[in-house]
Amino acid sequence: MRALARWFTSPVPLGRVAAFRTLVYLFVAADLVFFTPWVRLHADLPGSLYQPLLIGRLLPLPTPGYLLVTVVFWVLLAAALAAATGRAPRLLGWLVFALYLEWMLIAMSYGKVDHDRFDLLVALAVLPTAGAARHGVPTRSERAGWALRCTQLAAVATYFLSSWAKLRFGGPEWLTGATMTRAVLRRGTELVEWSTHVPHLLVVVQFLIVAFELSTPIVFLLRGRWYYLQVALMYAFHALVFAAVTISFVPHLVAMASFLPLERVRPACWVARLLTRRRTTVPAG
Amino acid sequence: MHAQTATPADTDTGSPPVQRLGNRGRWVRVVVALLGAALLLAGTLVGQDDDFPFGPFRMYATSDELNAPVHDTRLHAIDASGHHLVLADAQTGFRRAEVEGQLPRFRRHPGLLGALATAYHRRQPDAPRLVRIDVVDRLLQLRDGRPTGRYTDHVEATWRAR
Repeated sequence: MRALARWFTSPVPLGRVAAFRTLVYLFVAADLVFFTPWVRLHADLPGSLYQPLLIGRLLPLPTPGYLLVTVVFWVLLAAALAAATGRAPRLLGWLVFALYLEWMLIAMSYGKVDHDRFDLLVALAVLPTAGAARHGVPTRSERAGWALRCTQLAAVATYFLSSWAKLRFGGPEWLTGATMTRAVLRRGTELVEWSTHVPHLLVVVQFLIVAFELSTPIVFLLRGRWYYLQVALMYAFHALVFAAVTISFVPHLVAMASFLPLERVRPACWVARLLTRRRTTVPAG
Repeated sequence: MHAQTATPADTDTGSPPVQRLGNRGRWVRVVVALLGAALLLAGTLVGQDDDFPFGPFRMYATSDELNAPVHDTRLHAIDASGHHLVLADAQTGFRRAEVEGQLPRFRRHPGLLGALATAYHRRQPDAPRLVRIDVVDRLLQLRDGRPTGRYTDHVEATWRAR
């Protein structure tokens, strides 16, 4: 039990959680404006079309209308951009989590639930608990470690448990069925059109998908280059899915960055270094 | 030695100091994480979409037969000037998948479709008002998984302005 607790809270550099925080909150802002702009259109729907989910029935949340949707949109956008700076990580973090959850309920309480962002919601829920963290700081923190570990677990769970859901809803015949064939025929790109003409190919692909999804938890056992290979494989899986049927799970790709040594990515430092180098070379020329 | 024993996640034996958690903080975190995992497992085993965010991850989880017809749910409308139109998602703010999700409700209470006419008017205040909306289930026939071009339309619910 003690080993489990230590694993859940393995320390990571503060710079890593700072970078992850900036990435996640910038994504929330981008999500509002670019990735799921349709959520805002629910502002014009009369309340009779609102069908609250369980969580919306348990919590005393108002029926969305023009005012609520507009206020949540602008406050969330401002809070997410402010949180991306790393300031007031607890206050702004909890505010963004609460507002983004409400935004998701506005999105999904009209008859269709999307399944692409469980791990992003987990990231938003745990990031405030990591506390203050500045970019580039090598000091390691167990608080930060727990936040990233939870996000990693959620990211892997979405693979593992989606195979489980395939068995539950599709049954074992999912493996030999025509789900991939129909997906390729309905929204396949030119890159994969040929695949429906090759007998059994897409059935093999279905077996491979389930094998991949069920094997993702091994990322927690791997070390060194094998670890990075597995993380790269998870990203490559989505690159392939996008190339084949133009389905992307952007929020999930963002949450998966919790596996990466983000503290080494320092765009602000690189720009500063580039500028000073230019300043020192300019007088010479 | 370094590359072998250091994990990217954490067990670096280098010098940076470590901020430890107190006993209470550590155990609260472990319990919270295990509770969350238990909820997610329960959702996957017996939950439904209604249990968001702990519902099952059921994207593309149903198994399909190659030649089962494809359902294409459409909103056919007529406006006050007599024009026939097929409503796009952005014209009402109500997505096609949401029409499908609430279809049983629209079948029982076709009057609810009046809310879509209201939303259409809010989003297109200058366009003529809608006087009729039909939810149409278009069944596209497939052969070898490819559309044959033939289809049959079923009107699932109809609303008329009074």
